[in-house]
Amino acid sequence: MTRKENILHFFKNTWKHRVHVLMALPTFLIMFFFLYVPMGGLIIAFKNFKPVNGIWGSAWANGKWGVFDNFRFLLVNKARFFRLTGNTLLYFLIFTIIGTLLNVILAVCIDQLVFKKLGSALQSILIIPIFISYAAVTFIVEAYLKADTGLINNVFGLTRNWYAQESQYYWILILTIVKMWNSVGYGSVLYMSVLAGVDQQLYEAAQIDGANKWQQIWHITLPSLIPMVSVMLLLSVGNIMKSDTGLFYQVTRYTNTDTTGVLDSYVLYAIQHTSDFSFPSAASFFQSVVGLVLILIANAVVKKIQPEYALF
Amino acid sequence: MSIVEDLKEKREQKKKEKELDLQYGVKEKKGPGQYVLATLLILYTIIVALPIILVFVSAFTDEDALIKNGYSYFPEKWSVGAFKMVFASGDKLAAAYGVTILITLGGTLIGLLCMSLYAYALSRKDFRLRGFLTIYSMIPMLFNGGTLSGYLVFTGTYHMKDSLWLLMLPICCTTMNIIILRTYIQNSVPEELMDSARIDGAGEWRTFFQITLPLMKPTLAAVGFMMATGYWNDWQNALLYITSDYKRPLQLLLINIQKMIEQLVNNPNIASAAKAAMAGSIPQQTTIMATVVMVIGPIMVIYPFFQKYFAKGLTMGSVKG
Repeated sequence: MTRKENILHFFKNTWKHRVHVLMALPTFLIMFFFLYVPMGGLIIAFKNFKPVNGIWGSAWANGKWGVFDNFRFLLVNKARFFRLTGNTLLYFLIFTIIGTLLNVILAVCIDQLVFKKLGSALQSILIIPIFISYAAVTFIVEAYLKADTGLINNVFGLTRNWYAQESQYYWILILTIVKMWNSVGYGSVLYMSVLAGVDQQLYEAAQIDGANKWQQIWHITLPSLIPMVSVMLLLSVGNIMKSDTGLFYQVTRYTNTDTTGVLDSYVLYAIQHTSDFSFPSAASFFQSVVGLVLILIANAVVKKIQPEYALF
Repeated sequence: MSIVEDLKEKREQKKKEKELDLQYGVKEKKGPGQYVLATLLILYTIIVALPIILVFVSAFTDEDALIKNGYSYFPEKWSVGAFKMVFASGDKLAAAYGVTILITLGGTLIGLLCMSLYAYALSRKDFRLRGFLTIYSMIPMLFNGGTLSGYLVFTGTYHMKDSLWLLMLPICCTTMNIIILRTYIQNSVPEELMDSARIDGAGEWRTFFQITLPLMKPTLAAVGFMMATGYWNDWQNALLYITSDYKRPLQLLLINIQKMIEQLVNNPNIASAAKAAMAGSIPQQTTIMATVVMVIGPIMVIYPFFQKYFAKGLTMGSVKG
């Protein structure tokens, strides 16, 4: 088939499927206007943004670094930029490592439990926190941490002001606990469904060979989780630069930003409190591009190890 | 093979599996280890549930007792005063409920309908544009404009500030959900059934609405529930875009309570005497907790009905079709 014929064929096919084109149209348009146009909007990182002129009408940046002038502010505010990026990465690492560990441990524990009804009852309670919005969690955390009426200070007889700078390093622990409380029950569901699919004959064979419970877990249960764990880890790499603003902006009440400030919460703060977007726009651009590069690399790796789990 | 036979076979297979399960269950020993494990898991679950219990307990605590003794699981004095307060200023809460229900239902239904149609189109194997549409729906997962750019485009270019559409449309079509729906159509909706409908003269729309969509119920329930909780809990878009009082969803109501208190407490210009006088208008701590109960309550009530679909929905999402 020649190229021309091919193109003709394509158009004929598309015309034949015009109903399907129409069916795809609503999603296509919604995605275009609400996801694709904002991608284009990232060019404000290269513009001298003036709210009056809007994104598209603003002039290109032409400072010391030419069109890249906004990125100069990342270096001018080096300390802030590195702190925000560092915190973003730090929390990603803590949450991913501890989260995966707890997810797996919980999944294995519930899977090992002989009292199946009890297991599923507990599991359905453990999932609940994921459905509580961080706007509400903020108040729950406050109930524990308030200086005067908070439960922690009362129970342990402390007078610490948890939201003041004196407590800034505790927030790494607090945020980790809140995040784990929120996500572990839900996160383990996926691993449980993998464990439910493990061939029971493997366990029977192991029992006959005289393996005890721990040996069975070590040699059968955990290895069966490895593919899913590695895939989930690799895919989460694409989110390295993203953080949950609910946690970092709401729950912290945007205090102690030295230890709790991340790129996303900073951008959210900046939108509401400043009109100079040179730093935030450059940081946003950096965030999106790094995310893209990392997920492409991660996908390539997954494709090598476990092709059926690759995204594309 | 006819569909009826296929179903029969599946049922028998299930029966056999159940029997095997029973055999296995009999073999399993309920040794002391099992009781230790069960106890540990119960303890862990209680720890996880404690913060939620605290919300409910303090919502029913007497305000004076709470201020005197602090938050506690065993309040000195119980009271329903907080809920009385919440319902007394009920217009705001009712309006916020209305907005939240509107965007939750609206967003979820629009999203499910649009994405199912899209997924249906993607499942037509001889549709040449399919490759392009698949890639088109994948890209937003890899690359996105981020909050700032979205904010400037929606408010500056579209002039949609303070529009409820901004709470629904930007998050109604997501890559993951399209993949889940498409995978489900490909794997679990019998091709022969749709083909026979077409042979009988049903158009594509009719095939979709009368055959495909009803058969997608389990996955629609799973995806729909996840979307609905997303809408119910979304506060960031509301915080960024909503300015009118009567368009505030519940989550924004909570955030505004927070802001109000902070402004009053942190404002050095207000004399302490004035602060004391205003104390009556500051939302009391128990009232806040009662509001939190009102915000998280509905999800907890609805959640058990959708629970069985979750595990399925999650696993489907992780496997590419």
